[in-house]
Amino acid sequence: MTGYDVYSIFKGALSTISLSLASIALGVPFGLGCALARWYRIPVLSPLVISYVSVVRATPAVTLALLIYFALPDVGLSLDAVSAAILTLTLSTGAFNTEIWRGALMAFPRDQLDSAAAFGMSRAQSLRLVVLPQVFHAALPALVNEMTLQVKSTPAVAVIGIVEITRAAMRVGARTYDPLPPFALALVLYSLIVSAFVIAQRTIERRREIAGRPA
Amino acid sequence: MIDVSAVRRLSRGALATLLIAAGLSAFSVSAGTLDEIKARGMMNIATEDDFHPFEFIQDGTPTGYDTELVKLITANAPFKLHQDTIPWAGILPGVTTGKYDMAVSAVLVTDARKKTLQFASPIAESTTYYLTKTGGTAIKSTTDLNGKAIGVEAGSAMEKQLQALDAKLKAAGGAGVKQIVEYQGYPEAYQDLALGRLDAVVNTQINLEALIKEKPGVFAMGQPIAEPVYIAWAAAKGNDSLIAYINSLLLAARKDGKMYELQKKWLGASFESMPETIQ
Repeated sequence: MTGYDVYSIFKGALSTISLSLASIALGVPFGLGCALARWYRIPVLSPLVISYVSVVRATPAVTLALLIYFALPDVGLSLDAVSAAILTLTLSTGAFNTEIWRGALMAFPRDQLDSAAAFGMSRAQSLRLVVLPQVFHAALPALVNEMTLQVKSTPAVAVIGIVEITRAAMRVGARTYDPLPPFALALVLYSLIVSAFVIAQRTIERRREIAGRPA
Repeated sequence: MIDVSAVRRLSRGALATLLIAAGLSAFSVSAGTLDEIKARGMMNIATEDDFHPFEFIQDGTPTGYDTELVKLITANAPFKLHQDTIPWAGILPGVTTGKYDMAVSAVLVTDARKKTLQFASPIAESTTYYLTKTGGTAIKSTTDLNGKAIGVEAGSAMEKQLQALDAKLKAAGGAGVKQIVEYQGYPEAYQDLALGRLDAVVNTQINLEALIKEKPGVFAMGQPIAEPVYIAWAAAKGNDSLIAYINSLLLAARKDGKMYELQKKWLGASFESMPETIQ
């Protein structure tokens, strides 16, 4: 491995991190919106969410990426590779996030909603002040779990020309015929990225614990 | 002997997608004809990133035989090149759906592919060989492949050739290949051969010779397992004007010997008796 090879894999890591962050930043609120649509049983939207989740959960991310990049131009939507990659990863993680949020919402005691209504809270107020703070706490471990899976599903978009960690490592291995060193470096980089997510999760949980402690 | 229904190299997951893409391409706008390419001043081409020595990445820049050849022949063309470097799985769907005007990639010519693709004049000839480790191997000829574990890229034309060989060995009364191990890419197959998990790997002679040159003393060239086939660039079916133009450039590069120089530089041999067109 030359110095440039190492540099190229680090560059791939930047691409992995930015794609993961972008799709998580879009996919987590999107999943929440979808889950709320089902929780409030909003007509039209709710069945749409059900079909979206079942289709995307059944579709490998590679297939989704190929469809979005190569087939959408046929219906007049031509995206560049980076946008297509972000759309793929957002749709993919969004479906799983929907189910995570929905699970947390299902566990939420609905009688609290009645209490909130009795205090004269609007639906939006009860959602913001009563439901979301508790549901967020319940969903956090599963959400972070999905985020780490998301980091590791970014190689799927290599198929449309995005060079992330795995692809950068493969390119090096393909030239040197020695895939072990680049993949060892890739493993280290993935571990670092995933541990950053886990540390962030622990920090949030610890702060909430302290905040939630009786005075 | 060669199973012509082969798709050269394609992961199984992507195969389904290719079928979807091929279905969708039925109502797609076809890729740019020569006039459209001239009008937009740009030809969109797709090249692979891990098929040494035909195409690979060196210090962040695409290089290899295909990349140098396409640059050479289009130096005076009335359009510029826009080259995307993507993995094999995206190359042919990209061409059939019209995202790319041409796959400037080492596409093995098969009858199945001729149904959806239009091939340009061949750029190389390829024969599939088996490769073993140096020293102490019990494999001296193709018949010794009976009972051996052999690695190949999933969904490739080479895989079909290996399956045909397996059938031939069994028909001759042998045990046949013990196991055909499928890989997503060749670097991993070579690694497993070096580690002793495989007895042999099959790939084109050109790729294997480049490997042996790069890692001397580790691998030894075996025998051919199939008849020679041609390697050519491919455009979408029916894009005759583009193919005719590219053919004229390719044949000019053969006439003045520049293509053969590049072949010697990258492929270690020159192929001067190839046909001028593929139909």
